[in-house]
Amino acid sequence: MSHSHKLVIKRSSMSRPPPPPPTTNKDQQHQNPSLQEINIKLIQSGEKERLKELLRERLLECGWIDEMKALCRAFTRKKGRNNVTVDDLVHVISPKGRASVPNSMKAELLQRIRAFLASTAD
Amino acid sequence: MSSKINGHVSPQPCPHLLVFRSRNGPKPFRALQDCIRVKPPGGRAAIRREPTEVPRCGTCEESSRSRLYACVACAAVFCHAPLLHSHASDHSLSIPGHEIAVDVDRAELFCCACGDQVYDRDFDAAVVLAQTVNATATTSTSGSTAMQCSVAGSQPENLRKRRRVDYRPWEPDSGEHISRGNQSIPLLDATNASLVSSTQQPWGFRGLNNLGNTCFMNSILQALLHTPPLRNYFLGDRHNRYYCQQKNGAINGTKNSRLCLACDMDALFSAVFSGDRTPYSPAKFLYSWWQHAANLASYEQQDAHEFFISMLEGIHEKVEKDKRKSQSPGSGDCCIAHRVFSGILRSDVMCMVCGFTSTTYDPCVDISLDLEPNQGGSGKSSSAKSLNSFNFEADCMRPNQNCGISTLKGCLERFTRAEKLGSDQKLFCQKCQVRQESLKQMSIRKLPLVSCFHVKRFEHSSIRKMSRKVDRYLQFPFSLDMAPYLSSSILRSRFGNRIFPFDGDEQDASNDLSTEFELFAVVTHSGRLDAGHYVTYLRLSNQWYKCDDAWITQVNESIVRAAQGYMMFYVQKVLYYKESENQGTS
Repeated sequence: MSHSHKLVIKRSSMSRPPPPPPTTNKDQQHQNPSLQEINIKLIQSGEKERLKELLRERLLECGWIDEMKALCRAFTRKKGRNNVTVDDLVHVISPKGRASVPNSMKAELLQRIRAFLASTAD
Repeated sequence: MSSKINGHVSPQPCPHLLVFRSRNGPKPFRALQDCIRVKPPGGRAAIRREPTEVPRCGTCEESSRSRLYACVACAAVFCHAPLLHSHASDHSLSIPGHEIAVDVDRAELFCCACGDQVYDRDFDAAVVLAQTVNATATTSTSGSTAMQCSVAGSQPENLRKRRRVDYRPWEPDSGEHISRGNQSIPLLDATNASLVSSTQQPWGFRGLNNLGNTCFMNSILQALLHTPPLRNYFLGDRHNRYYCQQKNGAINGTKNSRLCLACDMDALFSAVFSGDRTPYSPAKFLYSWWQHAANLASYEQQDAHEFFISMLEGIHEKVEKDKRKSQSPGSGDCCIAHRVFSGILRSDVMCMVCGFTSTTYDPCVDISLDLEPNQGGSGKSSSAKSLNSFNFEADCMRPNQNCGISTLKGCLERFTRAEKLGSDQKLFCQKCQVRQESLKQMSIRKLPLVSCFHVKRFEHSSIRKMSRKVDRYLQFPFSLDMAPYLSSSILRSRFGNRIFPFDGDEQDASNDLSTEFELFAVVTHSGRLDAGHYVTYLRLSNQWYKCDDAWITQVNESIVRAAQGYMMFYVQKVLYYKESENQGTS
């Protein structure tokens, strides 16, 4: 009989994939780290920067970056170069961008984060 | 021949930025520059007050926001997600003069009131300088291109295989079919059958007799005879020697005015493509060239590359008399020689003290490349090492680098690498108004139709009064993508999206048909400096032929790969026609 735990997530932005269920009993002993704490751990160890570089490489390989650039160009052409701000572009392409990230990539990043947290757990 | 183009296309500052600048003195971002940190894996610049700072929003305490901005006026950090909550906007509205902020993870300036990115030249120069210093400091002695590896360490050219234009072979349309039939005489028909050699060599193959150490000329001529755009120009009667001589004879009337290397080329093309397979003696051509390049007129062996350059100059000079045409070689409008071979090189020189970069453009008809000083690029001399005794672990700095073998791509990488000029080569910086140590980087602004690479195998030292030849093998590819050596690629990987003079480069690069090239001719040199021989290998529809003066034979591609390349000719892939299997059928 296993307790079901949920990672505490602060819903700060657009939709996220559902949290994965815990796989070991260890989690029941220790308090689950908050998203804030995980984030700080990732930043301070430098892992976040490494993960970001990996993500950039993957997104480049699969053409996602080219797609986003094309979307931005199309939007800018429609609106006129002088009528577009960074905020506009972020607003327009963020939903499409998030939706088109391949699941395999999400899985890979998630796996790496889990592995990192497991390796640095106290 | 160089022209300074410093036409920086900078975006107009927003009113808030203007007010900010006017209120904060000549260097409004000076304090910010001290907070620029360059992070190891990707070489990206970030803004941190302390090196280990974890930035978080001052209002909501969140550090996991995707966009965090530090107010330039008061250094407070806030999050910014315009439609949900933007504590950065709140801050900018609450205190006038606090509209300008900087993205802490991207080191890019932002106006919270306008919701848009803004630019400051000095700030961007400081960011680039920090990235440059960081990159050159971490460059290992193997000379790996740290400057170009600012994105995830992997080479962009391996990842981007997108062609902008699909390659389609040319087929004559119905109109061209008809005119071919009506107005042309078949050169190869039943009556000429005796002239067709039994080996069925492709069109336009004819040996060139050696007139006495003229293999330097023969080898270049064979390459030019099969340079697709050049061949098409002359076979398309674009320079008619009869008409040209008639015209010039009428204007000047003297014998010298009839010197026209283009006419001689026209005659050569006619002779070689006539269908006659017996070796041809280019005596008239040699004589004409002697008249043009009097200093090189002798019976001694000459340098093939020098001959090539002087030939192009000779063709260009003739056209100079036609005042209607544009004279700038860079545009390629002046003459067929430049139309085919001329590209534009860009040189960026950056002052290591203030970051000010000056850019110049120069046309070029070829690129001369240095061979690596040592095998594998290690600091130690490896003249004792043979190809068999390599220690792959030690010499391989990157897993995808071909250990120890010099490659054409390696030479091009080194050619476009940012190079720190020695302290004895300080260049004048316009901003500092003194000579400063500089960083120089070459890149290709515009690709020619045909790229000629010249390997500097002959070293002449006037000091020691000696010359020597470098025999080291250089590996060259049959297909070459020049994209990584373009100015847009080089500068983008170095500067990211800082405002640096792109001069509308981005648009030009996207208008280029393609950056893919195909090898079609290799001029090789064998033997010693004083007693050597030039041979040209030609490639037609994936079949290789060896042109050794009067003898042309079919050879296996492995022979060509193993040859000692001296000059390599690559043509844009869209111009590289595959010959049809049937010759001379209509």
